[in-house]
Amino acid sequence: MPELQTYRRQNRYDNNSKLLSGRSMDKDNQPVPHEHLEKMIALVANQRDKQAFGVLFKFFMPKIRSFGMQKLGHQGLAMDLVQETMQNIWTKSHLYNGDKGAVTTWVYTIMRNRCFDMLRKIQHNREDTFGDDIWPIFESDESIDTQQDNDPLMSNLLMQHLEQLPLAQRQVVKGIYLQELSQQELAEKLNIPLGTVKSRLRLGLEKLKSFLEKHHD
Amino acid sequence: MIKHHPQQALLDAHAQAQLPLSMTIAVAAHCEMCPTCQQYLEQRQDYIAAQTLTSADNCTDDSNGDEIDLQDDWSTMIDDITALPPEELAPFKPDIVEIKQRNYHLPRAFKHRVSRDWSTLGKISRMRLGIDENDSRASLLHIDAGGDIPEHGHGAQEMTLLLAGEFSDEYNQYQAGDFIVLDKNHKHSPSTIEGCLCYTVVDAPLHFTKGISKLLNPIGKLIY
Ligand SMILES: [Zn+2]
Repeated sequence: MPELQTYRRQNRYDNNSKLLSGRSMDKDNQPVPHEHLEKMIALVANQRDKQAFGVLFKFFMPKIRSFGMQKLGHQGLAMDLVQETMQNIWTKSHLYNGDKGAVTTWVYTIMRNRCFDMLRKIQHNREDTFGDDIWPIFESDESIDTQQDNDPLMSNLLMQHLEQLPLAQRQVVKGIYLQELSQQELAEKLNIPLGTVKSRLRLGLEKLKSFLEKHHD
Repeated sequence: MIKHHPQQALLDAHAQAQLPLSMTIAVAAHCEMCPTCQQYLEQRQDYIAAQTLTSADNCTDDSNGDEIDLQDDWSTMIDDITALPPEELAPFKPDIVEIKQRNYHLPRAFKHRVSRDWSTLGKISRMRLGIDENDSRASLLHIDAGGDIPEHGHGAQEMTLLLAGEFSDEYNQYQAGDFIVLDKNHKHSPSTIEGCLCYTVVDAPLHFTKGISKLLNPIGKLIY
């Protein structure tokens, strides 16, 4: 089966697994609270923080590897799964939205989707990368219309309604429109991923719009 | 209101990617249309994720108890990954199929799956999708307004997901989102007034793929 061989590219990380055996228990390897993982994702998303990524790597790698062994039945493939999953975390961290679910759910989803695509490839030799369409996780980066009309009456009304928004949305809407921060700056300031800023902004603006529509009825 | 949902066992298996592709697409598409099942799926995923990624005793292989020294062993992989730039995603655009002068937007789960031609006989059109596994056949089925399918039984189990429109048979009236499983003892003769588009899997493989790693083991040994 030559196809399988070409799929299974030479993995130069293979040797790493040998180094892993026969060592003592890592004292740090204790359950990490969710808030800590959230903070690390935010650091990766906003500042491309390699150290924070290292923390995530250290936390998730053994679990992904073990999951890969179970599902793929081969050490090298399990290592591929670690690499692909961790790579997705690094390159797509800005799309993580903490309001939609825990970091662990997000990572699990990425890992399962990558594993699904890998299994399709092994079993059917199909170049499928459709796991993310079957279990969508990455919210696409819809641009938000930031054009505002400058009607002072309207602005006044908006200011009143603004205070009615839930805190999380209010912070974001105020940051963008009153303090004129960029979404990126706001993400860093609030220490939340950019994806969360975008979704809170969208929710906040939708709510404001519905307040206004009610007002006009 | 959607009245017919996949069984819980199917949703659970879907959450863990244990279903064959043709069925997992059906469950995913149903969840896109059904907030109830979507919510259940999300809760289930939260639970499974926590089990898989945070419980201490989930490391079943020899990695349990290993020390991970990021300084030495894994730094190459980490360096390679962190050299990569962030990736942006193109906004999702649904695939559209056209039949009998009508356009249908398909659920996201069908993305990239529909590229074939329709074969049409009267009011009935079928498009085979290239996602068959074993003996199962997956296709889109369109019945034009006023059409019906003569009474038939099923040699095996049949799964139908109603994507758009309506149809009814001896048992029920169905509407978009309904997820219908008929076994071989059921005969029925569906008919539609306004027309409908369905996704069907005949000989629906409802077995799960849990055993797949067992199968892969010997193959893996052979190759590597
Ligand atoms: Zn449902």
